[in-house]
Amino acid sequence: MSAAQYLELYQSLTEVLPGQNMPWLSEIRQQAREKFAGGGFPTPREEEWKYTNVTALEKKLFKTSAEPGEEAVGPWLDDFYLADAWTVVLMDGFFSPGLSRLDGLPGNVIACGMTDALKHHPGRVKTLLGSALGLEAHGFIAFNTAFFSDGAFVEIPTGVSLSRPLQILHVSTRPEGLANTRSLVGLAANAGVRLVETYAGAQQAYLTAAVTEIKLAENAGLDHYKWQVESDQAHHFGGIYVSQERSSRFNQHNFCLGGLLARTEIHTELADGAECDMNGLFLGLGRQHVDNHTRIHHREPNGISRETYRGILADRARGVFQGRIVVHPNAQKTNAEMNSHNLLLSDDAEIDAKPQLEILADDVKCSHGLAVGQLDEESVFFLQSRGVGHETARNMLTFAFAQAMVEKIGLESLRFLVQERLLNRFPQSGIRRDWL
Amino acid sequence: MSAAEQTIEKLISQEYKQGFVTDLESDTLPPGLNEEVIRIISAKKDEPEWMLQWRLEAYRHWLTMTEPRWAYVDYPPIAYDAISYYSAPKAKEGPKKLNEVDPKLLETYNKLGIPLYEQERLAGVAVDAVFDSVSVATTFKDKLAEAGVIFCSMSEAIRHHPELVRQYLGSVVPAGDNFFAALNSAVFSDGSFVYIPKGVRCPMELSTYFRINAAKTGQFERTLIIAEERSYVSYLEGCTAPMRDENQLHAAVVELVALEGAQIKYSTVQNWYPGDEDGRGGIYNFVTKRGDCRGAHSKISWTQVETGSAITWKYPSCLLRGDHSIGEFYSVALTNHRQQADTGTKMIHIGKNTKSTIISKGISAGRANNSYRGLVKVLKSAENARNHTQCDSLLIGDRCGAHTFPYIEVKQASARIEHEATTSKIGEDQLFFCRQRGLSAEDAVSMIVNGFCKEVFKELPMEFAVEAQALLGISLEGSVG
Repeated sequence: MSAAQYLELYQSLTEVLPGQNMPWLSEIRQQAREKFAGGGFPTPREEEWKYTNVTALEKKLFKTSAEPGEEAVGPWLDDFYLADAWTVVLMDGFFSPGLSRLDGLPGNVIACGMTDALKHHPGRVKTLLGSALGLEAHGFIAFNTAFFSDGAFVEIPTGVSLSRPLQILHVSTRPEGLANTRSLVGLAANAGVRLVETYAGAQQAYLTAAVTEIKLAENAGLDHYKWQVESDQAHHFGGIYVSQERSSRFNQHNFCLGGLLARTEIHTELADGAECDMNGLFLGLGRQHVDNHTRIHHREPNGISRETYRGILADRARGVFQGRIVVHPNAQKTNAEMNSHNLLLSDDAEIDAKPQLEILADDVKCSHGLAVGQLDEESVFFLQSRGVGHETARNMLTFAFAQAMVEKIGLESLRFLVQERLLNRFPQSGIRRDWL
Repeated sequence: MSAAEQTIEKLISQEYKQGFVTDLESDTLPPGLNEEVIRIISAKKDEPEWMLQWRLEAYRHWLTMTEPRWAYVDYPPIAYDAISYYSAPKAKEGPKKLNEVDPKLLETYNKLGIPLYEQERLAGVAVDAVFDSVSVATTFKDKLAEAGVIFCSMSEAIRHHPELVRQYLGSVVPAGDNFFAALNSAVFSDGSFVYIPKGVRCPMELSTYFRINAAKTGQFERTLIIAEERSYVSYLEGCTAPMRDENQLHAAVVELVALEGAQIKYSTVQNWYPGDEDGRGGIYNFVTKRGDCRGAHSKISWTQVETGSAITWKYPSCLLRGDHSIGEFYSVALTNHRQQADTGTKMIHIGKNTKSTIISKGISAGRANNSYRGLVKVLKSAENARNHTQCDSLLIGDRCGAHTFPYIEVKQASARIEHEATTSKIGEDQLFFCRQRGLSAEDAVSMIVNGFCKEVFKELPMEFAVEAQALLGISLEGSVG
């Protein structure tokens, strides 16, 4: 579907989009609509979209509905709940109170749907919305801003550290459906939380367009996990935009296992002494296209960032890693490090990488490393010589390569789920699980 | 004496050494570009009809193109109509001997330190000196002719070896390859042509000194080097330009063709006028350089030391088509004051077992911006392709920038690609260590910078290496202390 068709589709829905009665929000939406009308979805002509072509989207007609549905969801959904977490469920683009599990959430913590938040805390939404998004936003973000139907709203007050993790579970159930959500997460000074964003859906084609804006106040600490296990036919665009104030910590883990075409963007801006860790694992099988795009802006001195990404591409899959570190002119004493390791398992698979450094301050230590290679034949041989079949040996080594990233997950309940999913991506792998 | 032994203090006091304008009657076309201008250029050079058509085609294509703006450089729009596209030193009778050459010209060369007179006695180096656009003197022809090597100006080659030129010209960098290459194809004035026959190892290092002279004249050089099977050639290119205030456009094209088992080593020291401290003047250097490893086991090696030019836009590349072919790129790019450089390479792996190495050292000082931009592409056919890339940047001063934009595209599972990049300033501890052992701060910086570039300098032919180290010191003037 072209941009014009989407504009037309939403023409009839404008009135039901949340916040239409709020002039400040309608104005933001109007601006975004104009931007989207002018430029449409990004094209490979844009440098940041060089390797990902979303024109395939135009062949399909993804539709959003006017109101939240409470259709019965299969038992498959249970697999995605984190046992020990409070969960906000966004179903087909709308907050679902029925499916959400929020019992026992401390009273001073807000975790609700965006429509509700606009009703009860409009001032807070106004401060957070757009606070972490740069001006260089592209067509997908404009599309999201103009037409988001709902989202999650999370706010942790000063000094509060949540004992249990918080989960935002994005679910798609409608065939050819479109879930367009904007979520806002605000951590006040000294607050801390472990936040898991899960993307899942029924085995069919649909489009997820989700934008999460996160604001970390002074000395706040966020462990953020993105666990993307969309259906194999799904199109996924997920952007996470973070603004980090002084001495805040953003610890991100990104697992991209699903989707036919999946693009993840994680951008963060660091103030004085802020710290950021980005860990990523992407796995492409079949004809999957997995694009991970990260950007770290060191705006002020003394920032630290560490980034490690691993990619596995098999069959006819295509993987993209774009990492960019920008050190702004007065961001002295910055320490930035980026690493990307990629495993190519098939001659039909492809990896395109663009690790970039833009340094405008001199007293810095910045580096990036990137490697593309294959399984070490000697290791395969070693395992074979111990009686492990060739295929199993290769699977074990591939799994071990991925597991290094899984092991970094501090949240045990999630680690287990991710590991299971990962193992299931290697059917008939023959990998014994009892020692894991 | 190497730069390592010189003090930066001394260098700071130096003016741009090569800055002077030779007053010489030029045969210059009025500014502007149209088909008529191209016809005049072609006619002045007695070119055959096919050459003129080739130029016209390139020009027509150029008209449809837009200037690339993706590089990390910033400059005001270029008025292509304000440039004169042809300038030749006043032609009398073609000089046959060195002593027939215009004495003023020789004086210029002497000021530059090119001992043209002594060339014949200085064994080993033949100079095809290009003064502005027309070759005026070529030495060592005889010795090269004996080996069967053709080393002449492009215009001569078009006249005397049209079949070779026609076969290879534009075969590596097509006329419409990019904006600047198309412009060059349309208006190129002259350049060097080298042909090494089968199995011949070129008996000496070939060298061309380019000079930009007449004011407001863009220089459009076209170089073509063909190395036949199992041959070897080492080619040196060095550049200096007089000091002046107006920006000058330079859009050169270099094409290298290496057939089976051939090796080409192409070394450049580029020291054009970089503009003054506030960024006034200086050369715009938009160069397209590409080598084609056509045959199996061929090798092309680019080594460059880029210290000059206000703006550098240059990506010497290798097409690794032959199986087992090798591409190399060694680069030192130094920017100071308000210089901007966006340089790097492209390594396109097509053949099996192809290898490439990229070593890039960027040094940025003052308010300069220095970018490495490179592409390593492994096609599906390139089994066992191997690449190693190392890009290091050194920052001197807190207002400069160093950037790295590598692109890696791999479609072959047996490929092994490594890329590493680091950015840092000169370590306080390194400086302290040197000071502790009695070196002055300036000496210490000079030593560390030279050490930083050592990996690249060792790839340069000896005379060039010495010159390069000295240049580095001169270019850093005013940035340390």
